[in-house]
This record gives sequence, C-alpha cells and structure tokens, in this order.
Amino acid sequence: MSKETFLEVRGLKKYFEAGRPALFSRDVRHICAVDGVDFRLRRSEVIALVGESGCGKSTLALLLMGLEDPTEGMVSFEGRDITHLNDHQRKDLRRKIQMVFQDPYESLNPTQTIEEIVTEPLLVHGIAPNKSERDEKVKKALEDAGLKPAEVYLGRYPHELSGGQRQRVVIAAALVLEPEIILADEPVSMLDVSIRAEVINLLAELRITRQIAVIFITHDLGSVGFFADRVAVMYLGRIVEIGTMLEVLENPQHPYTKALISVIPVPNPRLRRERIILQGETPNPINIPSGCRFHPRCPVAIEACKASDPPMATLSKTHQAACLLLVK
Amino acid sequence: MQTTIQTSEPSNQVTARLLGFWRTFRKNRGGIVGLWMLVFIILVAIFAPLIAPYDESSSAQTSISDIYQPPSANHWFGTDDAGQDVFSNFIYGARVSLTVGFFAAFISIVIGGLFGLVAGFFGGRWETFLMRFTDIMLVIPDLPLMVVIVALTKPSLLNIIFVIGLLGWTTTARVVRSQTLAVKSRKFVLRARAIGAGKGHIVSRHILPLVMPILVVQAVLVISLAILNESALSFIGLGDPTTLSWGQMLNYAFGRGAMSTGAWWALVVPGFGIVWVVLSLTLLGQGLEQVLNPRLDTHHLMPAKPTVRKEAGEQPAGKGSLLDVQNLSIDYVTEGKARAHAVENVSFTLKEGELLGLVGESGCGKTTLMLALLKLLPAAGQIVNGRVYFKGQDLTELGEDELNKVRWSGVSIVFQGAMNALNPVRTVGDQIEEAIIKHLPDFPKANLSARVTELLDLVGIAADHKDHFPHQYSGGMRQRAMIAMALACNPQVIIADEPTTALDVMIQAQILELLDSLRKKLGLAIVFVTHDLGVVAEMCDKVLVMYGGVTAEYAGVDVIYNDPRHPYTQELLKAFPDLTKPKKKLSSIPGYPPRLDALPSGCRFAPRCPAAFDRCKTEQPALHRVGANGHIASCHLIEASK
Amino acid sequence: MDTPPMNRSRALLQKIAWSIFTILFVIILNFFLFRVLPGDPARAGIRDPRLKKEAVEILRIRFGLDKPVINCFESLNPIKVGSCDVNPLDTQFFIYIRNLLQGELGFSYHTNRPVTEILSERLWNTVLLIGAGQILAILIGVALGVFAAWKARTSLDYAAVMVSLLAWSLPTFWLGIILLFWGSANGFPLAGKATPGMSSMPLLQQWGDILWHMFLPTLTYTIVYMGEYTLIMRSSLMDVLSEDYILTAKAKGLSMFQILKDHALKNAMLPLVTVIAINLGFTVAGAIQIEAVFSWPGLGSAIVEAVGRRDFPMLQGAFLLIAVAVILANMLADLTYTYLDPRVKME
Repeated sequence: MSKETFLEVRGLKKYFEAGRPALFSRDVRHICAVDGVDFRLRRSEVIALVGESGCGKSTLALLLMGLEDPTEGMVSFEGRDITHLNDHQRKDLRRKIQMVFQDPYESLNPTQTIEEIVTEPLLVHGIAPNKSERDEKVKKALEDAGLKPAEVYLGRYPHELSGGQRQRVVIAAALVLEPEIILADEPVSMLDVSIRAEVINLLAELRITRQIAVIFITHDLGSVGFFADRVAVMYLGRIVEIGTMLEVLENPQHPYTKALISVIPVPNPRLRRERIILQGETPNPINIPSGCRFHPRCPVAIEACKASDPPMATLSKTHQAACLLLVK
Repeated sequence: MQTTIQTSEPSNQVTARLLGFWRTFRKNRGGIVGLWMLVFIILVAIFAPLIAPYDESSSAQTSISDIYQPPSANHWFGTDDAGQDVFSNFIYGARVSLTVGFFAAFISIVIGGLFGLVAGFFGGRWETFLMRFTDIMLVIPDLPLMVVIVALTKPSLLNIIFVIGLLGWTTTARVVRSQTLAVKSRKFVLRARAIGAGKGHIVSRHILPLVMPILVVQAVLVISLAILNESALSFIGLGDPTTLSWGQMLNYAFGRGAMSTGAWWALVVPGFGIVWVVLSLTLLGQGLEQVLNPRLDTHHLMPAKPTVRKEAGEQPAGKGSLLDVQNLSIDYVTEGKARAHAVENVSFTLKEGELLGLVGESGCGKTTLMLALLKLLPAAGQIVNGRVYFKGQDLTELGEDELNKVRWSGVSIVFQGAMNALNPVRTVGDQIEEAIIKHLPDFPKANLSARVTELLDLVGIAADHKDHFPHQYSGGMRQRAMIAMALACNPQVIIADEPTTALDVMIQAQILELLDSLRKKLGLAIVFVTHDLGVVAEMCDKVLVMYGGVTAEYAGVDVIYNDPRHPYTQELLKAFPDLTKPKKKLSSIPGYPPRLDALPSGCRFAPRCPAAFDRCKTEQPALHRVGANGHIASCHLIEASK
Repeated sequence: MDTPPMNRSRALLQKIAWSIFTILFVIILNFFLFRVLPGDPARAGIRDPRLKKEAVEILRIRFGLDKPVINCFESLNPIKVGSCDVNPLDTQFFIYIRNLLQGELGFSYHTNRPVTEILSERLWNTVLLIGAGQILAILIGVALGVFAAWKARTSLDYAAVMVSLLAWSLPTFWLGIILLFWGSANGFPLAGKATPGMSSMPLLQQWGDILWHMFLPTLTYTIVYMGEYTLIMRSSLMDVLSEDYILTAKAKGLSMFQILKDHALKNAMLPLVTVIAINLGFTVAGAIQIEAVFSWPGLGSAIVEAVGRRDFPMLQGAFLLIAVAVILANMLADLTYTYLDPRVKME
C-alpha cells in the first residue's frame, strides 16, 4: 500500500505584529503564533493537531488554507509550492482543500437556506453550470453528509436545525466541491457530548468512501483516538511530538505530551490516576522562552534546556519528539 | 422530476423573508402605530390638492381682516399672517417637509452606507482615512455649518436638500462600519473565503444582507433628523422663500406677530405636523430595531415569580444532610407561550464534605436547577413545586432579605465563564472585600486587606494582583479569583457551575485539583455542574444525571460508571472518549436533546432511546429505586425488571 | 482573545493630538468656505452699486481683498489662477491665520465692533444656558432611565419610554414657541437675559433676574434632551443588569439598592458619557434654536442675527468659536471616559 505524501509543510512560520513596547520605541514586538512547523500528510490519512489555546493551531489552519500569508516557510501540495499563489491559482486550489469550522452556529449565514449554502461553492467556482446537474450534486453532498433525504433540508434555514445537523451542512458545503483534504478546526467542541461522535464518525467515513485526508485540529486529546492515524502535539507554535496515534497516546515521550495525557479525565472512577499538573500557564507567544520553549514549566528540565533549543529526536520510523533528554 | 417545491426561486425566497419579517413586525404595537401614522401623512401629502380646501396660492385677494382669523367653519385651523388658510398650507407643507426629509436622507444613507461598508470591509488605509474624516465631520456641529453654507449659497429647496444630505451621513457611516466589521468577523464570512468566494461575492451575498436591516433602521432615523434640520433652517430664515414648509410657516407666524395677536393656531398646527412625522418615524425606527435586533428585555433585578407548590404537606429535611432538595420543579412562564417545564421533580441531598456531580447536556435544566437553589432564577422562572432545605431551613419559603443572609455566607456559587461574572470596572480585591463586608459586618476593617490576600493566596494568586482589574487576569486566574470570592464568607456549600468549561485542559486540571484540595482542607460540600463525564469520574462522590429537565439517574460515582441502569447514561458513556481505550469506536445518540418548549409526551428520552417501547412514548416513567444504596433511575425497563 | 489593553497616557495624547488636528481642519474649512461659496462675504459687501470705484478700492484694501487668496490663486470663486511666486506671508490666508492667532476675527458689519469682543460676551451666555440645560437634562434623564430600567416591562416603564420618545420628537424651536406662549400668559419674561435697568440693583437680585429669564429657555432645553438620555440610560442599564456579574452580585446577597449603586450605575454611565460627547454638536443646534426663540444673547442668536443681517465676519467668527468649543468639549468628554474606564489601563 503506497500512500504518497501529497501535502508537505516545511519550516512554516507566522509572526503577527504586536505593536511597540513604548510610544516612541523603534522595535516592534511580534507574536510568534506559528514558529517553524513541519509535517507531511498522505492521501486519505487523518492527522490530529493537538494543543492548548495559544499553541498556534488555529493560525496554522489559516495558513494551510491560504487565508493568511506565512512569514516564512512553505506548503506544497501534490509537489507544487502553494505558499505564494495569485488569486486565480488560489481559487483553484480551494476546491481541493476545504475547511470545517468550530462553531456551526456561526459558520452558516443565517439569511441563507441550506440549499443556498450548499450551492454557493458550486456557483463560486462555476462548477456544473446547469441547474439540474447542480441540484444533483447538492443533494448528493447533503446525503453523503448524513442529511437524508436531502429534500427535507433544502428549504430550511440554519436556525431550524440542531447543532449536529448544522455541522453536517458545513461538511456538505465542503464535500460539494469534492475536496482532497478537509481541514477540521475543532469541529465538535461546541457540540453536546452525545452527538460529537456522529460528526467524528462522519469524517472517518469520508476518508474511506471518498479518500479524503483530514487534518483534525483539536484541544481534546481524548477525542482523537480510533479516528486519527497520526497525532501531532503542538506547544507555543511548534510541534513538540509527532507519531502514530498509539505511539503518542500509549507511549508519549515528550514531557508536555505526558502531562497533557495525564490530565485528560478518564470516564472511569476506578482508574483515577496520578496527574502531572503543570504549573502556570502557556507563556505569551510574544516572549518565547530561551532554549527549549517548554523548559520553564517542564517537570524534568535540566540546566541545558535553558540554553539549547532541542531538535526533533527520532524514536521510531514514525515517532519523533523535541526534547533534549531524548537526544542520545 | 428532480426539482421539487423546495427548490424555489431566489425572488420567492426574498418575498418569503419579507413576509416572515412582517409577521413579527405586526406584533410590535409601537412600530405599527408609527407605520400607519407615516402612511397617513404621506397619503395626505400625495393627495394634497384633493384634501386641501383652498388652493396653494390663495393669498392673492386677501384683505387685512383675513389675517390671523381664528378657526372657523371656513378655516378649520384659522388663517395665517398672509390671510391664507392654515389647514391648506399645512397639507401642502407636508409635501415640502417630506420631500426634503426623504431626499436628504437618501443622500446621507448612500454616502454613509458606502463609507461605512468600504471602511469596514476593506480596512487598512481606506478605513483609517474614511473613519478619521468621519470623526472630524462628526464633531463639527452640523446645524451651524448648515447655516453657514446655506447663508453663503442660495436657500433653494435643492440646496437645502444637498446641504442636509451631505452633512448628515456621519452616524450612518459609523453604524454601518461597525456592523460590517461585526459581520465580517463572523465565521461564515471566513468560510466563504475558504470556499474561494471573491470580495464582490462576499459583500453582496454575506455582508449586505446582514448590514441592510441596520441601514433601514438608520434611514428612518436620518429622515427624521433631516426633517428636523429643515424646519430649524426654515425657522432661522434660511428656508426656500418660494415654498412653504412647516418650518417656514412657523418662521412667518413667529416673525410676524402671531405671538402678540394670540394666534396660537398659526403656531401650533405646523409644529404638530413636524411632531407627527418625527414621532411616526421614531416609533417605526424603534419597532424595526426591536424586531431586527430582538433583546430579551429582562434583567437580573426584576422581581421573581412567587413560589407555588402543587403538592401540599411538609416533609422534614433529611437528617445529617446539609442540602436537601425535594421534588423541585421549575417552569418558565412567558407571555403568550405555553409553560415550559424546565425542571421536574428533582431531588438530591448533599452531606458535609461531599462532592456531587450534576451532569447533563445543554438544555437539560442543570443551570436552572442550580440557580433555583438560591432563588436566583430569571424573571420568567418560577418554582412550581418542591423544597430546598439548607441546614433544615426551607429556602423556597424565604423572602429576599432573609435569602440575602444565606446567599454566599451559607451557599456560594462559582459561575461559568468568570470573565463575565466579575465586574469589569472594579478591582478583584474590592469585589472580594465587598462580600466580607456584607456578611461579616463585625470583621475588623483593619484586617480586611490581609484576609483578601489570604484568600487569594489560598487559590494561588499572588497578593500584588489584588488591586488589578479582571481584564488584567488570564482566564484561569479569573476562575481562581472567583473561587477565592466564593470562599470569602466561609460557606458550607459551593455550587460550581461548569467552572472549567471554557478553559484549556491543563488549566482545567489545575482548577479541579484546587477545588478538590479546598474541599479536603475546609470540609466544603460541592455541587459540581458539568457536561463532562470524565471530570465527574475523576472527582465526584455522587452523580445526578439529568436529561430534558428530569432525573435520569442518581447514584454513587462507581455505580454510574460501572452499573448504569438508565439507557441515557449507558449511551452517554459510549459516546464519551476514553483515553485508556484509544481504539474504541465512539457511538453517538441519534437525534438531539429535546427543546423545553417541545417536550415529548412520554419519557423525555424516548425519541432517542434504543430500548424504547410503546409505553415510553405515552407515559413518563416514575423514579425507581434500584438496589439499596439510594440508586435511582427513571425508566420503565427498571420497573419491568423488578 | 482579549484586546490588548491600551496604554492610558498614550490614549490621552492621541485624543488631544486628534482634537488639535480637527481644530486646524475647522480653521481652514472656515476660511475656504467663505472664499469658495458664491456668497463671498467681502465682495458682497462692496458690490453695492452706489459705491464709487475709489471707494471700492479702499474697501478692498481694508478687507485685504487686494491680496491673492493663497499662493497660485488670485481668487477661488470664480477660480482665478495667479502667480505662485507671491510671498506666502502676503496672502489672504496667511493674514487670516495671523489675525486668528492674535484673537482677531474682524469687525462686525452691523455694529462695527470687533467680532471677538461681541462673541466673548455672548459665549458665556451660551455656556450658561447649555450648561444648566445639559446638567438638568442629564440628571432627570438618568433618573428616569434608571427608574424605567428598574421597573422594566411595567406600565411605568412604558410611560417613561413613551414620554421620552415624544420629547425626542419635538422640534426644539417649536417647543420653545409653545412654552413662550404659555409663559407670556403666566408672567414670564419673553426675551433677553435681564430686565433693562437691572444693572443698578444688588448682585443677588441681578442673578435672580437672570435665573428668572433663564427659566423658560432652560426648561425647553431640558425637555428636548432629557428624552434621549432617558432612553440611552434605560437600555444601557438594562444591558448591564442582564450581565453575569449582576447575577454574581445578587448571589453574593447584596441588596437591590447595593447592586444598583455599586455594580450597575458606573458601568451603565460609561456609554452615556460617549453619547454626551457625540451629542455636543446636536446640543449646539438646540441652543441656536432656543436662543432664537427667546432672544437669548448667546452665540446661537449671534449666528441667526448675522444671517439675517448678512453680517459675514460675525457669522464666520461665531461658527469658528462654536465649532472649536464643541471640539474641546468633546475632547473633555473623551478624556473623562478614558479616565473612568479601567479597561483603558495605565501602563
């Protein structure tokens, strides 16, 4: 089974200007939202990007979508550099990479019907100029997204649907363009627990039926199990550990991943565990700590961590983590 | 036939939307009155020649005796300084005033709308330039500027329209810009960009439809301002001398002796016309605003609805329990709508040092229940049955003054989203002190500051943050401060309403550990409200699972997770990810939680329940005891298995 | 997530700089308006057919019209291009600026007195009227608004809202006329600021006389502006009272009165301060109308008289003074807001 890499991210950085420290100061401060991210994605693979708020995962999503321009680094798709495209090329590419947002209440225009919402991408891209063809595609997308029969939903407005149904509409509006990658930014965090699984299972199904690769961005390590092939843990704008789902969840190596996993509540009172609770909060991305960016909060930091920024240590063919203690 | 009725044409959808809007608007009394008043005066203006008893220029043959004639059968509203019929002039004056109002407002709205839209949507230099310009024009007083310009040019009707129109756009530009910014920042615009939509498409399909309503409200306001400005200009003597607007009529009457002759009719009537139009527009604008931007129009200080009790008879409080809630039921009562049974028949007890988890999805009534314990329900909420015993005292019976003694000193609350739960304009230390002063009046003033420091220290906040404002705190710190505040008066019970919901997992873990250690250190009893089954399993002693306002299951924590009897609890556990079983496929519960205004007739979980049978659809299950340890579940299956 | 808190001193500086810029804009606007628009004041004054050529020339020199308007332009209406090599200090524009810096606004055509002198007398009368009216309108409006919000959705609330809407819809000058009509029948003074001959009376009595004259204009002013303040205060307080921190305060066991006083009022007043600032321009519009009706000797009636008499130096001066006063008052209100809201924090 050869699955070629078709999306590659190399050294991606995004700095935002954060104003000047004083009224007449010359130097401008920067927020290092994304600070050197590398990873590869294979066809119909699911990769989970996990991290707490401020780790840069949402900015990374916008960079991948071309909704923000990177400060440095490159993204290539099917062997082509897509970092700097003109509007026309970008629009073509949009068909192949689609996005699903966190809040299904906010990501649908309240004045449009479901039909208008799902038809809109076709009209924007001038796909299927003929109406009956278009209707056919819209219906198929809605039913693939689990809204069956589609006719029931076409004339409705978003506020008439439940949260889970709305998220399915968002997914249908992405599917209608027949994308190759779906970038899902916290797609279930606003939904009730009892319906989260339906959206996750839908995405898991799509990768099989439509060979769609999924980049699943979340703060909840618990929800990536079974569904993700690989997991990348982000901290302060960087990936600190990446590996297959089982490698990361069952054998975490980076101290941050270890802590993160230890504090995820387990729904079984018989398995109450010792938690590694990190003190303080994720530092402000304006002042990235020297050396290893995790050292001020790291429970196992040594003196050397203050000085040198650790490279990615290879732990297995698929498993890497950026920690000095792992470098041999 | 592929195209069905649902795939209607866009024009039909616009009509449908307008019809829907009209249906809501029709219920707004003020707006409707304003609309009819406006329609009436517009009709009068249009059909002026038919209505007016005298011609527009009937002053040709007047004699001195015609001047300032009081109202009579010939002249309903008397005559004016030129011996003309005031009533006729009033009717023709409507034409002038309305014309100026509508055309000037049109100019203002186009300019303001365009500036606001461009500035809001494109941002950057355009925005800076346009908004700076708007700010300048906004502070320059407009009537004096109008006076200067009209005085320096010819006071013709056209000039006046242009001057009023060209100076009246500033507020519109600001309003439209802020609305455009608000719409632009919404996620569906980002989604449209992600689809590949261009700027033109986004503006016309996503921004304009949501800016338009605001623009309509604004237009109504600008028309009324234009009419007021025109009348003021005319009154000052800068009206078009060839026409007779209401302002002009007043100018002539006031300047030519109506006051000294006592000819009140010449002064009252034209002014009445202006008031009529402006009031109609104001009412219309208010009505539109209320319909397009509905507000709840309620607040936390509105008087609570009196407690009623369906079942009479007093049950004494359970011995040994701090908090004993018995058969509590809460309705939401809204005018013109059926009562919504938000909480029905919920009972639980809480002992000293115990931690009870209150679990449920959105809309299950958990927050309502928690607020009802201290009678903090919104104005629409009403306790319709049951009792809340705190240390043997029934809180549902107490009046506000007595409740205020129990609140915070006996039972305190840690609210969800502490950003909004702390007053933004007072320092955190000050807000903690306030609680101590209120409940411990004898507490020595000199020690107050030390006590606040001690409380902050207890939750891990350094003393120098005491005098900071909430916005200077991070989310986690705010939640800690909220906990410190809850501890200020040494309460026995703390209710924590989703205290960690918006926080990151690591911060959540910190807060949970803090609560747990405080519980052990201070012997607190805690009610922990959450939707997160994992958190409950980690911390709680007992669990109350709620669904659709009723108790689904109530048992010790181990029982809930390892021997759940209610299908909802079972299904919920299957839907919850478990890190210790990463390969486990999650299942979801089909359907969605019921809405309070559309509760199913039988068991509230029946429509989503995999084990539902006929009886579940018609009959609400009672609470059944399972085993001996106070395990309770409300499911017909349990009764059957007994 | 959160907007970064602004540095307070920087915010203050920015606001002051911005107001200065706006004043400069108004000064320049004031010059060009009177040169560009057709009713060019100076030329209108010397276009009298009875004047001899020599007399016209003397007047031209006296008004400085012999000089080019500004570099490159002889005149702007009609546009006449001139030499760009003129000494910039010897243009009408520069002379205008120089005179302004010396506080000179020219001479009134009507009385031939310096405009500055007339206006400085009148400025204080307007300030007195607006000040008294605004304070009363704010006090009554806020009180009524608080009352309406507190009694929300009762008939008292609806009555307060209706009265406010009606008050808002009244044309200022018309209300003035009606009150004047009523006042004339009830022995109130009809015009002016003082009874003639009062200046020989003791000070206390003089002040009493002024207050007596002020009563009707101030009443008009108060009624017109009160409505808007009521509506804004009501909706602002309603917003604040439905905030979560009010629920916190209630859960803390504070009484209704304590919550209103310690948690709601200050927060609800903040938007009102902004509205008062934005309203200052409209405020002046009200003053002009009221002064015209009651012949109150202020800046507003100065404008109205100047229009009637085609007294352009007066008009130009009065407009400039009003505009600058409003801009400064607006700045003050802005600074107050910055001071009141801790979210604009000190660095």
